[in-house]
Amino acid sequence: MNKNPILNALGETLKKVGIDKKKVCITSDIFYKPEDIKPLGVDFYHIHRGRSIAFATGLKLGNPALKVIAFIGDLSTLGGNHFVHAGRRNMNLVTICINNYIYPFKATKKPVKTSFSTYSNFERPFNMPHLAKSCGAVFVARWTSLHTKELSSSITKALHKSGFSAIEVISPGGHYFAGIPDLKEEPDLIKFYYKNSEIKNGEETMNLEIEFGKKIIVGEFIDRERPTFIDLYNKRLSKVLGDKFEPYGGNRD
Amino acid sequence: MRANPRDVRTGILYIDGDVAAAEGALAAGCKFVGGYPITPSTEAAEAFVRRAPQVGAMFIQMEDELGSISAVMGASLSGKKSMTITSGPGFSLMMETIGFGAMLEIPFVIINIQRGGPSTGVPTKTGQADMMQARWGSQGDYEVITLSPDSPQESFDFTIKAFNLAEKYRVPVMLMSDECVGHMTEKVVVPEADKIEIEPRRLYKGPKDKYVPFKPDKDLVPPMVKAGDGYKLYLSALTHNERGYPTQNIKNSSSRRLIDKIRLNADDIIEIKEEGLEDAEVVVVSYGITSRVAFRAIEQARKLGIKVGNLRLVTVWPFPDKKITELSKKVKGFVVPEINYGQVVFEVERCVHGNANIILVPHGGASVHNPNDILTAIKTIVKDKKRYDGILEFKTELELRIFGSGDNK
Amino acid sequence: MNRMEATVTEIRFGGFGGQGIIRSGIIIGRAASIYDNKSATMNQSFGPEARGGACSSQLVISEDRVLYPYVIRTDILVALSQEGYEKFVHELKDNGKLLYDEDLVKLKSTKRIDTYSIPATKFAEELGNRIIANVVMLGFLTSITQVVSKEAMNKALPESVPERYVELNIKAFDKGYKYGIEQKKAK
Repeated sequence: MNKNPILNALGETLKKVGIDKKKVCITSDIFYKPEDIKPLGVDFYHIHRGRSIAFATGLKLGNPALKVIAFIGDLSTLGGNHFVHAGRRNMNLVTICINNYIYPFKATKKPVKTSFSTYSNFERPFNMPHLAKSCGAVFVARWTSLHTKELSSSITKALHKSGFSAIEVISPGGHYFAGIPDLKEEPDLIKFYYKNSEIKNGEETMNLEIEFGKKIIVGEFIDRERPTFIDLYNKRLSKVLGDKFEPYGGNRD
Repeated sequence: MRANPRDVRTGILYIDGDVAAAEGALAAGCKFVGGYPITPSTEAAEAFVRRAPQVGAMFIQMEDELGSISAVMGASLSGKKSMTITSGPGFSLMMETIGFGAMLEIPFVIINIQRGGPSTGVPTKTGQADMMQARWGSQGDYEVITLSPDSPQESFDFTIKAFNLAEKYRVPVMLMSDECVGHMTEKVVVPEADKIEIEPRRLYKGPKDKYVPFKPDKDLVPPMVKAGDGYKLYLSALTHNERGYPTQNIKNSSSRRLIDKIRLNADDIIEIKEEGLEDAEVVVVSYGITSRVAFRAIEQARKLGIKVGNLRLVTVWPFPDKKITELSKKVKGFVVPEINYGQVVFEVERCVHGNANIILVPHGGASVHNPNDILTAIKTIVKDKKRYDGILEFKTELELRIFGSGDNK
Repeated sequence: MNRMEATVTEIRFGGFGGQGIIRSGIIIGRAASIYDNKSATMNQSFGPEARGGACSSQLVISEDRVLYPYVIRTDILVALSQEGYEKFVHELKDNGKLLYDEDLVKLKSTKRIDTYSIPATKFAEELGNRIIANVVMLGFLTSITQVVSKEAMNKALPESVPERYVELNIKAFDKGYKYGIEQKKAK
């Protein structure tokens, strides 16, 4: 069993999902140790910061038979634009957004500090599911890292979807975020978020703001169909070029 | 390996340097371009877009240059020969990812159609001022290869060469073209596919469980595998060891090899075109469009009886240190014209070791040199026997204008 | 700066965007370099000029390789607009040739240049499409200056225009070519 709850959920998923593991690639601008990744039995690329989704887009287009999972940080504080456009294009990727509150979170009673906001962080966090929906994601979910079963189930669904899936995982990082008074230890933090969450599947994404004094709403919010980038590319170019065009990577990947 | 006939537009074409570069890429087997439109490189991307779907290649307009080049990295690791096309401002945005590509030894090509000036600069006019940025624009130590074409024909030929070098050495290779060459329309001869030599990807052929991602062959370049081939790769942009795992032990890391694989293979990589060097008093060192304009000055000088040698840098990086040092012992001086206020001249200066005079003929960009400026510099070397440390004349823009700056108006 | 090559011909085309100014340069360049076995370097001026605005292209044709890629002192100016004429007439050599559309350009200069006029746009309209005025002008240019051979132009022209317009373009070219021969005789 993996110590990292998210990788653990991913590992469980990959065992059961019925997809050839060889074809699964993970790109991540977050560092994971080789010993945590190796048991997954997939290809792993630790990308320079912020470019995970753009890199994943290239991997997928380079070989449409791949199943690409892109890990990003808080909407990749860097590289948010890649998220927006991958959603718009409906690139066939699974994006796992590890929300560790580089942008802050105020579910606590007292102001939250981070190492980069010593005097407490006053900025508003992203409503990631709402953004993902507006960009055009076909599958959107949010869980805390202790919702292992639910997370695993969502990843399974996302891997079977055709198009851009976004799964937010509330998972505060202990290194930078040790600022909630009385909650110095990482496990305590994770438990804190788990306890302060409420499952509401299908909730309207505009109601998913993470706000002071309110519970974090988790669940699966969007599940819809849209043609992917490659679908549209093939459809359009076959129409224009006819026989001269060779469909790219098969119709459905 | 020979080019695929489907990819090659064989014939005698009348096209501009941008289009020629795109044709070169297609002929070399490029199957993926991620790009974002930017003057004056747009024609190259447009040319690729038109042909790509008919040869099984993909062009995607990414959200920005950061996205473009990151997608190129991914596509290359998936097994497609990949490139991006850009100009100065986009090139600057790509810098970090160039370092990433060098670090993970991803073969890819960047076509940089240089424009004039820093920042937004002069988008529709020429410049050669990205040379130093091309070399070490990203943080940390790494080496790259650059090629400088002086005509649409060379844009075609050198783009093929760029792909071949990228695949051979698993290194970023940049075609450092410029607006003048990019927008210049000339005859380009595209040979038959079986006359075009293509370097295939260095694929690993050993047993699957023995594969070590960064274990080099004898020439210091490790073989590759494709994403999704079941090798359970772990590749990290952190300083890593042969297995691709992070390490802080630099000795065990690939850091040194990233440099050595280029420097120790420099003799194989470097291409220079030389002419009249045997008895030269003065040597003109130039690259790209400037070579061609300089040759006009060289012809004029020869008519005056001056013995001028012509040294064209096809590959500016890696730099032909040995050649310059060797020449410096025999000649009176070097003339270095470039469309910037001095970049490659400092490399010449380093290799000359004070053995000879050096005159920089600078140019602020937006046009090419007036050959008369280069001729004057050649004459100055011959007349003046005094030794100078470094640069003899550094003309200001104002002086240049008085002098006749090569403004074509 | 003077070009030392005696065999170099420098041509400037000036007009509006949409008149085929750049295509004109490409067609002559292709004819000269591919079918006349010369070197021909074509450059277009890129600036804030957009469609409908001022537009120019320049062509250097040489027996040897063209080294300096831009025009310095033009031998031939082809003007299809008043602005194109006024902007570039100063760079014409003494005894250089000015070819212009007589309905679009009014001469002002007293410079010693040879002038040749043709109602190119009117001819093009008579042939059915004013867009081929530039091709009428190319025919005129070919017969007046002989900077490229007619044979080369006959080969280059069909390759440079959409297939369905080839016939029309050839008619336009011939119209301008014949008019040029008549004008030459008249001089």
